[in-house]
Amino acid sequence: MAEVKFENITATYGKKTVLKDFSLSVNSNEILCLVGPSGCGKTTLVRCLLGLMKPDSGSIKVGDKVLFDAKKRINVPAEKRNIGIVFQDYAVWPHMTVLENVSYPLKKRRVPKEEIAHRAMDALKLVHMEMYANHLPMQLSGGQQHRVAIARALVVDSEILVMDEPITNLDAKLREEMLLEIRMIQSRLKSTVLYITHDQQSALQLCDKMAIMEPDGSLCQYGSDEDIILSPANRFTFEFIGVSNMIPVCKKNGKVRLACGADYEIDNEAPADIDFSKKIDMGVRMNDVVFDKKSDIKASVISKVFLGSEYNYFLRLGEKEIRMQQSMLDAKMNGVPEDGESVGIRFVNPRFYLAKENANEAI
Amino acid sequence: MKLFNKNNNLAALDGGKKFSLDKALTITTFILLIIIVIIPVFMIVFNTFFDKAVTGKWHIDFSMFRTQLTDAKNLGAMWNTVKIALFTTVVGTIAGVFYAWLLGRSDIPAKGLMKALFNIPYMFPPFLGAMAWDMLLNGRGGYFNKFLMNTFHLENAPLNINSIWGIVFVEVSYYFPFVFMQVVAALEKMDPTLEECARIAGAKQSTVIWRITLPLTKPAISAGALLILTTSLAHFGVPSIIGYSQGIYTLPTRIYAVIYNAGGSFDGIRQGAALSVLLVAVVSVALILQNKILSSGSYDIIKGKSTRPTLIKLRGSKYPLLVFCILTLIIIVVVPLVMIVLVSFVKAYGLPLKLKNFSFIQYKRVFSGGGTIDSIKNSLFASVTAGVVCMLLGTLVAYVVQKIKPKNKGALEFMSMLPYAIPGTVLSIGVILAWQGAIFHINLYNTIWIIIVAYLARYLSFSMKTSSAALLQVSSSLEEAARACGASHTESLSDITLPLIRPAMVSGFFLIFLPAMREVTTSILLYGPKTRTLGVQIYGLRDAGMIPQAAALATVAIGIIIILNTVVNYIVKDRKGV
Repeated sequence: MAEVKFENITATYGKKTVLKDFSLSVNSNEILCLVGPSGCGKTTLVRCLLGLMKPDSGSIKVGDKVLFDAKKRINVPAEKRNIGIVFQDYAVWPHMTVLENVSYPLKKRRVPKEEIAHRAMDALKLVHMEMYANHLPMQLSGGQQHRVAIARALVVDSEILVMDEPITNLDAKLREEMLLEIRMIQSRLKSTVLYITHDQQSALQLCDKMAIMEPDGSLCQYGSDEDIILSPANRFTFEFIGVSNMIPVCKKNGKVRLACGADYEIDNEAPADIDFSKKIDMGVRMNDVVFDKKSDIKASVISKVFLGSEYNYFLRLGEKEIRMQQSMLDAKMNGVPEDGESVGIRFVNPRFYLAKENANEAI
Repeated sequence: MKLFNKNNNLAALDGGKKFSLDKALTITTFILLIIIVIIPVFMIVFNTFFDKAVTGKWHIDFSMFRTQLTDAKNLGAMWNTVKIALFTTVVGTIAGVFYAWLLGRSDIPAKGLMKALFNIPYMFPPFLGAMAWDMLLNGRGGYFNKFLMNTFHLENAPLNINSIWGIVFVEVSYYFPFVFMQVVAALEKMDPTLEECARIAGAKQSTVIWRITLPLTKPAISAGALLILTTSLAHFGVPSIIGYSQGIYTLPTRIYAVIYNAGGSFDGIRQGAALSVLLVAVVSVALILQNKILSSGSYDIIKGKSTRPTLIKLRGSKYPLLVFCILTLIIIVVVPLVMIVLVSFVKAYGLPLKLKNFSFIQYKRVFSGGGTIDSIKNSLFASVTAGVVCMLLGTLVAYVVQKIKPKNKGALEFMSMLPYAIPGTVLSIGVILAWQGAIFHINLYNTIWIIIVAYLARYLSFSMKTSSAALLQVSSSLEEAARACGASHTESLSDITLPLIRPAMVSGFFLIFLPAMREVTTSILLYGPKTRTLGVQIYGLRDAGMIPQAAALATVAIGIIIILNTVVNYIVKDRKGV
């Protein structure tokens, strides 16, 4: 098994540059989730890796094998790259049975006939689809088709498995199951997985490492999921992962105060390098807003939703509407406020970022 | 090469190689389209405006075009063409929409059967219909006229089909299905909630039909109307059979007459070319007008969910309307058919249609000469060849346009659709001019190949359209998945894409084969002594006054068409099951 290395990849569609000097590596035997908003160039990166698109510059390596190198003029054709791929729409061939679909990669590699049947069935067993071997794809559900696509990607023992938004089309429960299954298959086969998604929830569930891409196609942060959640590199990562509130703040007499129509002083210290002469937003995740009867900061409850394991609230704080989450434990201990009730709140672990209009000015 | 997008997805697939499969396909497509489509069109324009007869060198010469344009006969023909096309389009469209609505959205009984029956006029070769009506209502001695004269003791024939109105009547009978079929399909797929909302909002039933249903089906109506218009402008068979005896000419029949009278000399062909330019101009004006009048947007009225639209109750008028529909069918299908069959049995044309005058002698006569069998063979050969080649070439063009997407795919699409707007007669002249030795000294004149080349140009857009639609359904990730699985580009095409669009290719073949089988407009100008087609043979027999023999062969032709159509329906139905 091998690591994947993208180095200084630049890729363009016509005049539009999608990726610019993009570098990223996927460690051997790990699942890397590449997360980014729609249209940021994730799929372009996959297409470059698969050889379906030719980057303008840079290089792509798998282990010590060079797949693409603009300077050395190397471009291994798609069919010789030996990368397993599961597409978003599965791309299971509708005119072939499940078994024929899974056998196809082996057939193209000139594997002897007896071995093909044997190995294809093994791959199907891996995804629990052996009983559907002679079905046509249209007779299968979305989840089953997805498994066929995985089996097809696994059957040739590719060193790399790429999954491009493979579970976005499934319902919530199936999504959960598929994620577990992908995890299990990966740990069994010890393969390197590049998992592409815009859904941060499934990324958190699945990944060993996470890479966040910005809308302009640059790599924003790379690290373990804890890193990404606990110390987001910038405002984009912070807002992209998890639900967060952005509340305008200012500094008066050396103290940070809210500036959203409700003028409260807050006890949280802002880092010294924040320049309060510019407009500043305070970012707080919804589970970092907590009820505190003693707090001076008062907000009123607009509405609440019971979600089974927690309550979600909409609170009015001056001109701002903010969201918060109350765990069941807290609800049991401190009670659940009524709609319209005034409540004291406190912010835990807030972050300070330049407000968006500042950012625009800077550009 | 500037021809290709630098970072085009599929063009980059074969990365390392200098000359990829995609480039080869694109270039092949361009070359083939230029040979088949552009050269004939170019030759017409060139020969109309350039001449070398006088000085021996090619020079611009407008005199030919001017004389043709100022010739009163030609202007009359042009006026007739426009008049006939206009009336045919208006009446045909109204009839098509009316019957489509009646059979699509009302609760008229026996709807399925009626719908199937209303498709028959589409299969019926119009020039055979014209022949039948000429037998019935000819101003001098049509069978029905004679009957009326005898019954009511009239001096003159009361009805005369040999007029502009006769031509319009016959063309409407066989062209209204163009609108009918399009509108029925649109009505069936239309989201019924669109109409229900209007009813809920307080609109009356008649308001809904007028303000909601009709505007929503406008794209379908206009597409069908355009088809009627261009077909009628370019049509040869009907005006030639009905109008000839009264000296009523249209541009296509005039072109035929000019070339025929010149005995195939180059000057005659040049005159024909000049007239063709005129015809193309008329068609272009029609296309532009149609675009101006009907371009107010298309709507996405088709929803994925198939729901059953609410049917409108006809109440008391239900059965009268049903009778009206049946009468329509009897007049446009049964009467001509019966007439042709009856006349084919008559011993001599003009004898009363009584059993004692019937025999099989005409069939014996028509098949005793070698010409008939040959014409059937020729038609079969030309139609099958054109069908197969068009199917392959159309798929190639569709693949290049839809999947490879070279920078100038617009030009490709334009080239393949161009013959659609160019009348068959004009195309024939272009083909004669091009392949009579003018280019690389290739002379196909008087061979079956010149007919096939003309068929290719004329029918290419048919197969391209069906293959295009099928290819759009094949997501590019299917092919890419094959590449990632270790298939080369060629293998991914043959293993994945081709099997998936095969049913569409087969139906594309029949879409060309069936009309080519009964075609007369193109081949009438291209046939040689040994290359008569079925249509030409029937036309020729009738022209020579052997009307019962023509009827006998027409009966055989209709039989062949019915058999082929049944076979096609069977095959296509079978394919859908997969």
